[in-house]
Amino acid sequence: MKIDKTLPLEYQTEENSNRIFGFWIFLGAEIVLFSTLFAVYFTLWTRSGTGPSAAEIFQIKPVLLETFLLLTSSFTCGLAIHAMRLGMKKPFMTFMAITLLLGLGFLGIEIYEFVTYVHEGATLQTSAFLSSLFVLLGTHGAHVTMGLLWGSGIMIQTQREGFTHDTANKSFIFSLYWHFLDVVWIFIFSFVYLKGLM
Amino acid sequence: MKWDEFFVTGEPMIYGAMASIVLVSLAILVGLTYFKKWGYLWREWLTTVDHKKIGIMYILSALVMLFRGGVDALMMRTQLAGPDMKFLDAQHYNEVFTTHGIIMILFMAMPFIIGLMNVVIPLQIGARDVAFPRLNAVSFWLFFSGAMLFNISFVIGGSPDAGWTAYFPLASLELSPTVGNNFYSIALQIAGIGTLMTGVNFIVTILKMRAPGMKLMRMPMFTWSVLITCVIIVFAFPVLTVALALMMFDRMFGAQFFTMANGGMDMLWANLFWVWGHPEVYIVVLPAFGIYSEIISTFSRKNLYGYKSMVISMVAISLLSFLVWAHHFYTMGHGAMVNGFFSVTTMAIAIPTGVKIFNWLFTLHKGRIQFTTPMLYSLAFIPIFTIGGVTGVMLAMASADYQYHNTMFLVAHFHYVLIPGTVFAVIAGMYYWFPKLFGFRLNERLGKLAFWLIAICFNVTFLPLFFLGLKGMTRRMYTYSASTGFGPLNLLATIGSIGLAIGFAVLVYSIYWSFRYEPRDTTSDPWDARTLEWATHSPVPEYNFAVTPNVKSLDAFWFWKKDKQPLFEDKIEEIHMPNNNGQPFVLGVIFFFFGFFMIFSWWTPAIISGIAIVVMLAVRSFERDHGRHISVKEINKTEQQLRGDKA
Amino acid sequence: MKQLFPIRHVMGYVFSLILSVVALAVIVWDMSFTTAITILLICAAIQAAVQLFMFMHIDEDKSNKASNYTNIAYALFVGLVTIFGTLFTMIWGYL
Repeated sequence: MKIDKTLPLEYQTEENSNRIFGFWIFLGAEIVLFSTLFAVYFTLWTRSGTGPSAAEIFQIKPVLLETFLLLTSSFTCGLAIHAMRLGMKKPFMTFMAITLLLGLGFLGIEIYEFVTYVHEGATLQTSAFLSSLFVLLGTHGAHVTMGLLWGSGIMIQTQREGFTHDTANKSFIFSLYWHFLDVVWIFIFSFVYLKGLM
Repeated sequence: MKWDEFFVTGEPMIYGAMASIVLVSLAILVGLTYFKKWGYLWREWLTTVDHKKIGIMYILSALVMLFRGGVDALMMRTQLAGPDMKFLDAQHYNEVFTTHGIIMILFMAMPFIIGLMNVVIPLQIGARDVAFPRLNAVSFWLFFSGAMLFNISFVIGGSPDAGWTAYFPLASLELSPTVGNNFYSIALQIAGIGTLMTGVNFIVTILKMRAPGMKLMRMPMFTWSVLITCVIIVFAFPVLTVALALMMFDRMFGAQFFTMANGGMDMLWANLFWVWGHPEVYIVVLPAFGIYSEIISTFSRKNLYGYKSMVISMVAISLLSFLVWAHHFYTMGHGAMVNGFFSVTTMAIAIPTGVKIFNWLFTLHKGRIQFTTPMLYSLAFIPIFTIGGVTGVMLAMASADYQYHNTMFLVAHFHYVLIPGTVFAVIAGMYYWFPKLFGFRLNERLGKLAFWLIAICFNVTFLPLFFLGLKGMTRRMYTYSASTGFGPLNLLATIGSIGLAIGFAVLVYSIYWSFRYEPRDTTSDPWDARTLEWATHSPVPEYNFAVTPNVKSLDAFWFWKKDKQPLFEDKIEEIHMPNNNGQPFVLGVIFFFFGFFMIFSWWTPAIISGIAIVVMLAVRSFERDHGRHISVKEINKTEQQLRGDKA
Repeated sequence: MKQLFPIRHVMGYVFSLILSVVALAVIVWDMSFTTAITILLICAAIQAAVQLFMFMHIDEDKSNKASNYTNIAYALFVGLVTIFGTLFTMIWGYL
């Protein structure tokens, strides 16, 4: 196994460096996936049939809170990787934990939001607008859920093994994923909520 | 759900199929037990992460699917042989043309091409394996479980029957109430995830694992074509993922994406389908262009003419392929501006394709041409594909398309593109690379017989369809009356299709015959070829190259042979290889059951198997497997054996 | 790289908070559709860039820099074509 000590730990083996590159490619595919969901949403968002329209159900407060939580979690996730590069395990674990807790908070609010919609009679089955809204938000939420499970697994592994080629590589790839979810959220925040409330 | 709804009933042919499925499965099980091959199957195939073996499994599955799709085609042609035939009823005919389309494109053409990619790419770039061997196995097993899931639909639950494009509202729950189209959305989804992973895997492999000195512009043309193809896969398949998911939500969870009420938009499905669907055409055609480039260059004894323009035109095709999709539904009723735009982009694609045709012709020009079987397919491809391309430009003109749209003219056009463009290519590729995998060539005499049967009968089958289409025969009509006058040409096409079937039978027989009787090759380079895969032994040892080659030019192997340019300069060192693992196979099996339960909306088992998938991912994440090393001593021993030295 | 205080991350975080607040302007004040969409587009694009460069360090892997940029550019090309192409064929094309 070729090891290049000049690089950060997560890049040092050829295999791990390939993994990071491969994950970037996968994120490219994810960009297209979310773009398609946005395309569907933009096409259908005025077509609310007999159901409520966007302006009628959107509330800015929970959305702002969600945005704040996710932005902050993206920041702490970056700090965790920064700590990892300095070889500081304890701050890494703390920042990872904060990241995941913020993610959990985000998810909680999103679920609360969904429940509110359903109580107001706005369900997946009501109209094309609501179908596309639920599926767009739901896909993002499912990614966050997946990230929570994944991140917890990585925390357990790092706790057990410390910073190795494996754990450092996994943590870094997780951070890419987490920042990417934040990027997607920014677009949801701007072009679903703000545009809908305009 | 009652049992008689679960199984498809009331059709003698289906009962025959059920009986034969049960008998064949029993025969396989008994055979494996009798010959004590279970351990061999598990160790050497089901758990393998070796790109060559995965490639062989892809190609075998593709051949089986070619048989299934071919039987579908023969059934359609039999039904259309004369006016008012009663061979199939309307419903059955709908199912047959639907499964024929999906199986041929997604479960025959794609895996055949991915199989050849798997076999050839690491060898061609001088690598030991793909970048992520385990992921490669996952890709295969996801494809395989998707394919199996799709294929059981014709005995369990009923096949999809809304065409391979599954247009809404026809494919909606309201108008297609059986589980048929659930099979469509779930099985394709599972296979699609596998394909996406293949795309990522091969991009990383080609960009990061090339032998030292092999710059991008020194890569063989097949490698280039696969790189571009994988780029299209990675960026086109997510669109299919979304489209199929929305279809699933509409059909199983009552969402309103493509419905006719509550704001749904049925044509949005067609739009999304073709945003993926048109690039998909280039996914199956571009690697074929790569295969032809290799074969034509090898058997003309010349380097490929216009290497740079080949690369540039493929990059252009990859970008343009995302800009033309609306030409599949010119007649939807959007304005002249939309149709005009997509007309222009569609015709523009003919330019880079034309460049490639001329490059092949100039490669042939003044070459010392050898008419081997793979070369015959390549030579037949050029004129036949040009007919397909030219009729494509006819279809590209939006106003004229109102005449051709959804007629047999269209059917003839895309068969003229896809059969020479993909099927001929994968057969040629199989003949060309077969000796690399098995150490002997496929018999040339039988191969040429099969070629002539296939090439001639292909034209007899599909040329009449152009004229039928212009006369007004639409696609997907299950019968016609004598007064239409469609009878004679249809009969001709049916006769052609029987000839085509005989051609494929000869082809399969030639594989069997060659396994038994064809003399074994003693050289590792039977065609006197140009690229690196021929620089190692046939059959290829598991580590591919004992020493990594140092590439100094395009076609480095050729110049090593002719000019004694050094290629293998390093000493043999310990080789790092990945371990075999059963997890990908298990994951595939779980996905199969997950998909099956989803299709029938059996939620409890579906959730349980969904959790099992997450558990499998976690197991993988917590596992530490750093592969194994093959010692220098062992490599030397293998190399001596392969060279035929007495140890 | 080895510095203790993560200045890039903190700057990125501050930027992203500011940009979110700026984007909020479109629902606070009355403005024309074009102005509002322009503000949203600019803010979202900068935010995405902030994440890409300041948090994800897309530029740090020297051996893959070109490939990474090409990858993102290609993904954006296909994504934008899908979004605007769909709107073009499904909605604007009828006008």
